[in-house]
Amino acid sequence: MSRVVKKSPSVCTDLPLDNTDICNKLSLLKQLLISCFGPAGRLKQIHNNIGGRVISTSTSSVLLSALSSSQPFINLIRTSVLNHVSRFNDCGLFTAILCLTLLEQAKQSGLRRNVSIIVNKHLLGLCTSYLQGQNCGCKVKLDFCSSQYFITLAFSVISSKPACVLTEPEALHISKLAVQAFLLTVPCNNTGVARLGKTLTVCVEGHPVLDSAVFPGLLVDMPDIFFLNAENLHGRSLCTVLFSASLAGDLCELGDGNIELHGDADTDSQILDQLLELGKQVVQDGVNLFVCQKVIHPVLQQYLRGQSVTVIERLGISLMESLSQLAGAQPVATLHTRIPPKAYGKVKELTIKQFGSKTMLHIHPSGESAICTMILCHRNDTMLSELKVVCQKTEHVLRLTLREPCALMGGGCTETHLAAYIRNKCIKEVIESASLLGCSQTEYLLGAEGFCRSLESVAAALDHKCGNSLTDLTHAHYWTLPADVVEDHMENSLGVCGCGLVESCPSKKWTYLNTKYPEFSPAPVSKGTHLQVRVLDSFTSKLSGLQVAVETANLALDVQYIIQDTN
Amino acid sequence: MMRPVEHLHLEHVLQTVGALEAVVLRSFGPHGGQVLFTRDTGQAMLSRSGTRILTALRLEHPLARMVVECVWRHNAKTGDGSKTFILLLASLLRMIHTAASKDPHVSLTHNSKEAAKAATARLLADKLLAFALDELDDLISVGVVPYGCVLSWKDFTAKTQSPVQKLLSSFFYTRLGQSNCDFISNLLCEMLTHWKFQHDPPSGSLQFINDNFPALHTPVLGFPISCSRLIEGQVIHRDFATPLTEPDGGSVKVVVFTGHLQPKLLNAGEVLELGCEALGEQENRGNGTSILHYSTFAEISLEYVFSNLQSLGVSVLLSAVKQSAAVLSLATQAEICVVECVSEDELSLFTHVMVKPCSLVICGSGEGQTEQYAAAFQEAIRMVLTTWEPLNTRPTTASKMVIHSHKSTSLHTGDTKPTYGFPCQNSVLEPGCVVPAGGTFEFLLNHALLQHISVCDNHESFPAASQLLANALLSVPRQIYSHSPRYFLQAQAMVLGSVQNHVHPFVMLDSGLESVSCKYHLVLAVLQCVTRLFQIDTMLHTHTRLNTQSRRLANISWEDTEDEAEN
Repeated sequence: MSRVVKKSPSVCTDLPLDNTDICNKLSLLKQLLISCFGPAGRLKQIHNNIGGRVISTSTSSVLLSALSSSQPFINLIRTSVLNHVSRFNDCGLFTAILCLTLLEQAKQSGLRRNVSIIVNKHLLGLCTSYLQGQNCGCKVKLDFCSSQYFITLAFSVISSKPACVLTEPEALHISKLAVQAFLLTVPCNNTGVARLGKTLTVCVEGHPVLDSAVFPGLLVDMPDIFFLNAENLHGRSLCTVLFSASLAGDLCELGDGNIELHGDADTDSQILDQLLELGKQVVQDGVNLFVCQKVIHPVLQQYLRGQSVTVIERLGISLMESLSQLAGAQPVATLHTRIPPKAYGKVKELTIKQFGSKTMLHIHPSGESAICTMILCHRNDTMLSELKVVCQKTEHVLRLTLREPCALMGGGCTETHLAAYIRNKCIKEVIESASLLGCSQTEYLLGAEGFCRSLESVAAALDHKCGNSLTDLTHAHYWTLPADVVEDHMENSLGVCGCGLVESCPSKKWTYLNTKYPEFSPAPVSKGTHLQVRVLDSFTSKLSGLQVAVETANLALDVQYIIQDTN
Repeated sequence: MMRPVEHLHLEHVLQTVGALEAVVLRSFGPHGGQVLFTRDTGQAMLSRSGTRILTALRLEHPLARMVVECVWRHNAKTGDGSKTFILLLASLLRMIHTAASKDPHVSLTHNSKEAAKAATARLLADKLLAFALDELDDLISVGVVPYGCVLSWKDFTAKTQSPVQKLLSSFFYTRLGQSNCDFISNLLCEMLTHWKFQHDPPSGSLQFINDNFPALHTPVLGFPISCSRLIEGQVIHRDFATPLTEPDGGSVKVVVFTGHLQPKLLNAGEVLELGCEALGEQENRGNGTSILHYSTFAEISLEYVFSNLQSLGVSVLLSAVKQSAAVLSLATQAEICVVECVSEDELSLFTHVMVKPCSLVICGSGEGQTEQYAAAFQEAIRMVLTTWEPLNTRPTTASKMVIHSHKSTSLHTGDTKPTYGFPCQNSVLEPGCVVPAGGTFEFLLNHALLQHISVCDNHESFPAASQLLANALLSVPRQIYSHSPRYFLQAQAMVLGSVQNHVHPFVMLDSGLESVSCKYHLVLAVLQCVTRLFQIDTMLHTHTRLNTQSRRLANISWEDTEDEAEN
């Protein structure tokens, strides 16, 4: 007897952006995300109602997945940003804040929904073509001959995550390691299809961050170190075989039926004999390193060790893949047929590495393998897990540069520069653009102003010290002025701009952000500057974040009605 | 426990449909927006499609459910017009209601005023349907088709602003909004061009894409919509299970398996007897009693399979199921790449496609978005299919219309040469006929209906019906231009002006195009729905026995399969 429960009718909400409850929720979300933004962002503690672990974080991916709302409109924006982050691993807060500010500005401007959408879309087109173009004044070309820019890029990602609790030298050390690991996983002498390697991360708790290190090759846990054969350690190249099938003597591949034994038939010894036969063949073929993804029968282990073969069992599938790439071996899963010679691989040497209580076997690649292991050390578990996530994100950001070898100036400078560029461009082309979009010139300029203000307020969100946000009137970079500084001494207390590429000087003029200023075409920073850029943002993820933010805002503006199925 | 019988009044019907209209209007026309809805699974969806919105409401009222069902059926066929359906239905019902209320001939045979009204309404609805079935196709071919144009299948070129692209663009405008409609219609045009089979009629390849759409598109989350594109070849939505070997260049041989490659020796319920003396003697082999005999057999047969595949030059193996570790290992050794768990749809597409395939990558910031785009693509294909569908109507009346339908011109060539030559004798509406969007069809049909009334004044029994339909039709353009009634009059004047001066109304080119065939189906479907609605006079709320047994659970209702009783 099946119980069929009647479906209850859906709950409907009309014009969500005119709904006070939704607007309050949106602005609360925006405030919350702004307070987390940037290197000086404040952390949030997340704990659930069932006594789970407390997480301290400022990372958008963790925050937004925790902030699930019953309101589908909020979730629409939330999932958009989460999808962006899962794809690019960077610029999540930028995307979310920009999107929410765009919505707010569109509402404030009083423009018709359709006009806001079409103007936003048009301006997004201007932004992307400027950023992708040759004359972009806020872009840096990355040079693979020098690691400087890559370290800066990595440093910007790592230092924007305050939950890692790193001092500046520590952050720099981790940044260098991240770049080193990244470079190790890029294959060099590869013709045809290049395959990026893999960085494996091993976490060691309770050690200083500066002890973290990167090694080429694999490090695997080796609890029973006394089994290691001294002959195989150090300076000897080793013939390697990898098994992906279990060598424990089970018969799982045979099927689901039953086996009936009669007389003196002894399956176990038959199988064991077969395993030993396999061991003999392997020894004959000169194998020194015998690795199995699953369990190896103790008798076989004993036999192999007796023949001075190093045995590693229960390696697991993830390391298996890396090891087969490192050794150039093909995993074997057949026990009865002869192992073909090309299935064997080679490793350069085995060494023992000690990290605190952890003893690890270091498998060195014989050639270039694109596999490396990163040992991450930190004082406690929470910081360590955040550091691990951050390092993985950094690796991804660095990898994105392979596709598009450029970066954007960080520290808010790209946002203010872009806003100044768009303002100038809009005023110059107002007549053509307005007629193209089918709106009035006033509407167009009003929409553009909202768009530029949204960009600028993302830059201003970087400041958490209640200072003043400024932009200069030549390059339109972003500057912060501490709250207690008198305006007369401005150029002395400004120092350098957000990205560190422009220096304050008496001839410079500044204006407060979100005030009216005469529009101008922002100049690129001249090549001759002696200053080094200090903050860089990932080009690919910021560009995509910008697009996702505007598209999501447009989508949200377009929502007229919400129907919630409450079943 | 019997609930009271509910007599259906005309007002109830009107109210119900009015409520549906109010919901649908939010996403109707150029100023309509998105509707965001959450499924009972919590998954968010976005839509501007009338059918999806109405289905999402999970309506309880049996009448409303019937209307939604009618809309759903119409949409399943034509892929278009579900919002207009409701609009036209509501408008017709209102007019019938007014007409029935005004009717002075309240018959004495009816015992109440209500019953008399209902009877008049029913009579009107029947007349309307009869009139439409009899005359509508002729009216359209005389009054609408000459002012439209016939698109030829040759128009499916990817170049922008081709008429087909325009037709699709206006369709996507109503489904996805203004900002992306051109981009998406270009994508679909390109896709249709690519899949155009050399000798087949257009409907063949359209039907093919429609049937195989799940395997032909790949939703990708976290990227902006503008990253959507066509890619050559078919996408198999699974990763490689073995390391990817580099192709030598040239063609790649692929083999498809639907079952397990490693033979299963023992199925469930089967028994393998080992150590049986008699058996061992019969086979006259020493290892007949050994389990290894069987597992060796399995591996050796696998080796044969792979040596065969290797000699055939196969380098990729697609499998519908998960294969054993031995299969993966032997495949790696044979340098064959394996992809496991490939879906049935993809495999059948892969094995049946003879031409060079091409698939669609749909990017979006969220699942709601990519799903909406995928649904819109499929509906667009159905719409195009309906547009080109030859209408086999009565051959008798068709002959008298031939002269008029001749006037149809092709937009493609730009001159007045008809692309299709003589229309088929048994088809009144030419396949591929389109008119400018924005109410042109309704204006033209309205005009034709009024002409019709004036011509056959006394001979016909339908003047009231056709007058009613003519008036109801105008509600559609009135809603399109609801933001400014002045435009409504302008558009009407323009269409009527071109009718009087025998000018094709393609001066309104920037307004997009609409399929005449879809509109014809729409009007008929609406009239059928009206008739169905008026056939019901009473609703009986019944309860199953389950409910009476569990009166305690009054709050939980049990859904009956037949909630409504149709008369």
